[in-house]
Amino acid sequence: MRFKDSIKISLIALRANKSRSFLTVLGIVIGVGAVIIMMSLGKGAQGLILGQFSSMGSKSISIEPGSFDPKSGFSQGYESAIEEMTIKTMKIKDAEDIKKNPLIENVAAYVFGVGRVIYGNNDEKITFYGATETFHEIDDVYPALGRGLTSEDVEGMAKVAVLGNKIAENLFGDEDPIGKKIRIKNVNLKVVGVLEEKGTQMFVNIDELVYLPITTAQKLLLGSDSVRWIVAKAVSEDVVPQAMEDIRLTLRENHNIYNPEGDLSKDDFKVMSQVETADMVKQVTGILTAFLSSIAAIALIVGGIGIMNIMLVSVTERTREIGLRKAVGARNKDILRQFLIESITLTLLGGLIGFVGGTMLSFLSSFVLSKALNTSWSFVMPFGAVVLAFGVAAIVGLIFGIYPARKAAKLNPIEALRHE
Amino acid sequence: MIFVEDLKKEYCDDEVKTIALDNVSFNVDKGEFVAIMGPSGSGKSTLMHIMGFLDRPSFGAYKFEGQSIEDLSDDELAYIRNEKMGFVFQFFNLLPRTNVLDNVKLPLIYTKISEKEKQERTKRAIESVGLSHRLKHYPNQLSGGEQQRVAIARAIVNNPSVIFADEPTGNLDSKSGQQVMEILQNLNDKGRTIILVTHEQYTSEMAKRIIKLSDGQIVEDAQVVDRKIAKNGLVK
Repeated sequence: MRFKDSIKISLIALRANKSRSFLTVLGIVIGVGAVIIMMSLGKGAQGLILGQFSSMGSKSISIEPGSFDPKSGFSQGYESAIEEMTIKTMKIKDAEDIKKNPLIENVAAYVFGVGRVIYGNNDEKITFYGATETFHEIDDVYPALGRGLTSEDVEGMAKVAVLGNKIAENLFGDEDPIGKKIRIKNVNLKVVGVLEEKGTQMFVNIDELVYLPITTAQKLLLGSDSVRWIVAKAVSEDVVPQAMEDIRLTLRENHNIYNPEGDLSKDDFKVMSQVETADMVKQVTGILTAFLSSIAAIALIVGGIGIMNIMLVSVTERTREIGLRKAVGARNKDILRQFLIESITLTLLGGLIGFVGGTMLSFLSSFVLSKALNTSWSFVMPFGAVVLAFGVAAIVGLIFGIYPARKAAKLNPIEALRHE
Repeated sequence: MIFVEDLKKEYCDDEVKTIALDNVSFNVDKGEFVAIMGPSGSGKSTLMHIMGFLDRPSFGAYKFEGQSIEDLSDDELAYIRNEKMGFVFQFFNLLPRTNVLDNVKLPLIYTKISEKEKQERTKRAIESVGLSHRLKHYPNQLSGGEQQRVAIARAIVNNPSVIFADEPTGNLDSKSGQQVMEILQNLNDKGRTIILVTHEQYTSEMAKRIIKLSDGQIVEDAQVVDRKIAKNGLVK
């Protein structure tokens, strides 16, 4: 018996009960659709987050106060947040010493705070970054108007500010901001430059930041000489692990930490590379996607039971047909094959509809998400999801089709022909 | 070509043993037209099912073209049914929602011959029952007589050496019934063996030989003396 004949017979049978066939595959449609949506959105979220990390560059190493918990890896959550704020041991000198390492191309040190920026009658709530002048190169962000921060600004604790693109627009509108005075926490600062439009990097919108010399921010706005984080750029990607180890030694020496075994939990700082962080994010989003997809897959099992049920009904309804086919020469395996192909056709059809519907919904959601959140969320359809949708649909059809098909194949031709 | 000896068929149902056939013996040669006659419950359908390899006897021997049923597996029986036997049933048993062409072609889809050959044979079979103008019609668009003719075309499409017809006229008006009998007689004239099961004396007299069954036993086995010939829907 040719495969084409089997398909033809299946389609005739499915067409004979159009609405029943449709309702039967609905379970599969919903199951496959849900899995597709979960996988696509999971991949989209991962892409978004990884995109943020890669904006940091693969040669980047970040250094933050805090410690490494050997049980859970890098400490996370509120404990880590508190540590990062309360450990005050990191200083500008650390950044300067790191820069002496020949494996390090450039280093920038940062502090940050929140406050209101005032110009005339305009008043904006902002986040300000105090940074060394090297942040331009490290963050790859340069002035579009006026000038950027200089080493003289940092050394001389100059009362100057460089504005993010959007802040400048909000405060000054059409006015030229260069040379104007703005006020943050009762400190008057002269605007010397406006940064180019940059968007979001590492989850921070650069366009909404105000940059000041780190020394000015420490002394006049924060009243502390500690550094919140340091970013170092290695000369090449290959030396990143070695550079990280060197940085640890430098900081231990500076912070008087005796740690010859290199036990990370004894340090008061943590050193992370972009690659490590990205791997961590990949793992977390991967687990989340798998978890959500497997919940969605339960719908597939429910759908499969529906298929089995309707195939059993179909076998009973078509008992005479089966008897006749056997009488004219169909072997048991011909009948088995025909009913299996029928259930697989049914589930593949469901898989196709579910795939198309799921893709459309995923596309719509990515569109809405990117508009609503103003992020660069992009629509992704992982190839694995396509394979999974059709593979799983076919397997469901096969597994839940076997019992009815065997029942059909075992029918006695005479009994089947007599059946009314 | 058909050799039946001491055939016995018993059914066990709820510990009650029913004997459907009891020590039935006869032979059928190639080219014969045999009517198996008897009232309902006489065992004639059971006999036909065994002869058509659709069922197995409880005891006794049955050989078809030298092959003994007890030596053959279910798949081999299916193969012989497909190659050498044709079946016509009282209730036509055409596939619904399947056109005349595909209904007649049905036995051929279980063979390995080429698609072109299948098409040709199918069309020839339909032509021989005079339904070439109905190729794309569905069974529910045909009259009972036409449906039975489609069923006959299906029975001969595989070029069988024997045709089993189980009450082929039982569900038809007399004119359609006689058309069907005419086709069967013509097929017999061309050398095909026909085994006809019927309970009508009238129909059985169109065969060449009548085997009468009663309570599972042969009570009479004789040649038809005054054979009736069906032609153009009339019987002479």
